[in-house]
Amino acid sequence: MTEMIKKNANDLDRNFRYEISKKVGAKSLLNCIQCGVCSSGCTVTEYVDMQPHRVVASCLLGLKDEVLASQAIWTCSLCHRCTERCPKNVDYSFILALLRNMSVKEGKIPKEYSGSVVTIYNNGYVVPYTGGLKDNIDRRRNRMGLPQLIPPNLDEIRLIIEETGLGELAKKKKGEE
Amino acid sequence: MELALYLGCTIPLKMPHLEKAFRDVASIMDLKLKEMEGVSCCPEPVSLQSLNIDTWVTLGARNLAIAENMGCDILTICSGCYETLKTVSVLLEEDEEYLKKINAILKKINYTYTGKTKVYHFVELFSQPDWLDKIKNLVVKPLDDLNLAVHYGCHLVRPSKIMRFDHPEKPEKIDIILEALGAKTVEFATKLECCGFCARLQEEIGMKLVEDKMTELSELEEEVDGLIAVCPACTSQYDRKEKIIARKTGKKLEIPVLYLAEIMAIALGVDLEDLSLKNRSVKPNKLIEKLTI
Repeated sequence: MTEMIKKNANDLDRNFRYEISKKVGAKSLLNCIQCGVCSSGCTVTEYVDMQPHRVVASCLLGLKDEVLASQAIWTCSLCHRCTERCPKNVDYSFILALLRNMSVKEGKIPKEYSGSVVTIYNNGYVVPYTGGLKDNIDRRRNRMGLPQLIPPNLDEIRLIIEETGLGELAKKKKGEE
Repeated sequence: MELALYLGCTIPLKMPHLEKAFRDVASIMDLKLKEMEGVSCCPEPVSLQSLNIDTWVTLGARNLAIAENMGCDILTICSGCYETLKTVSVLLEEDEEYLKKINAILKKINYTYTGKTKVYHFVELFSQPDWLDKIKNLVVKPLDDLNLAVHYGCHLVRPSKIMRFDHPEKPEKIDIILEALGAKTVEFATKLECCGFCARLQEEIGMKLVEDKMTELSELEEEVDGLIAVCPACTSQYDRKEKIIARKTGKKLEIPVLYLAEIMAIALGVDLEDLSLKNRSVKPNKLIEKLTI
């Protein structure tokens, strides 16, 4: 069960709801009527510390720290039933992606989510494709009569990652490896 | 109409046998495909979108721009790629300001995306009436004696305001394709449940979802000959976890998991030796036997 959150009214981040709703696709947040349909159909509802309708309520109330620290925003299986069923067209799965982005900006990233950008930065694919691994993959494809892969120009991929703000994460992780 | 074949990463690099099956089917059906050069990861919708939506959209838009330069729409063979590329194409089609912002970045690497590329999953294509007729005419090994269960997965059909091609909670397009091949499809309670692959934080979520679905399918009155999926993540999730769960719980879970293009390839007469059907934890031996009697 979620523990009761006690917070002084002055400590609420009243701008939080607008920080979310100004983003493409997330304006719908303000439509929520707290019916709970999202939570009743949620694939991971038994596993989260804060159910979907409570995450939305907390965003509307301005409980930014609590929302961004919750495990709920990362537990989602991305089944999109919440977004599909919402009678007020709140796009919860997209709002969750935004909340995850905000959490990432604060440096809070579960390790299960941080590796993919490093792999894409170094390979262009989300699967390693260099050196011996590449040779094995190419041999196997060749045996099956499949065409040779033509991988992306890595400079292009890296520029996009850097320009959109993930360069530091992609390179920092590489250094740690 | 020629389509640009977008392979993604998981299928060509980790599960090329699925690509082989799809290419064999495409060739038998005379589906004209163009190879894409220099495309990257779609990028995958779970972690990249979570880390930074703009990175996700811009990398996706670069792939869409490559198709646009080829003068083609895109055909995907993975539901993750389908989710990313279709979502990015719809987002950018509906929001001119955002498209401008993304193009400002793409311009630095000499790409422009004008927002015209349409994105299809092969299910979307083959479930159209003219393709269904073609399938019916080309079947050489009808699946008449098979009872198949369909796993749609989440990203093929939801959110419907973006995917726009099948019912988001009562989809039927894969069933229709299997029926055209002669098979019967079964109805079951957990048909629309998620495979749990994308719930990365807690392994137990995926285990529970796979156990629930496989247990229900194993206990149905009519014996189920196979579970059919259209995404490499769902396919490997059920295939690998089914065996692990069977060992752990002592349950008798022996339903083979096949990718839609594989069962299509079988029915369309592709040599079984050319399909890597043994390359999975539950081998579809019984299913094959039923077809050869």
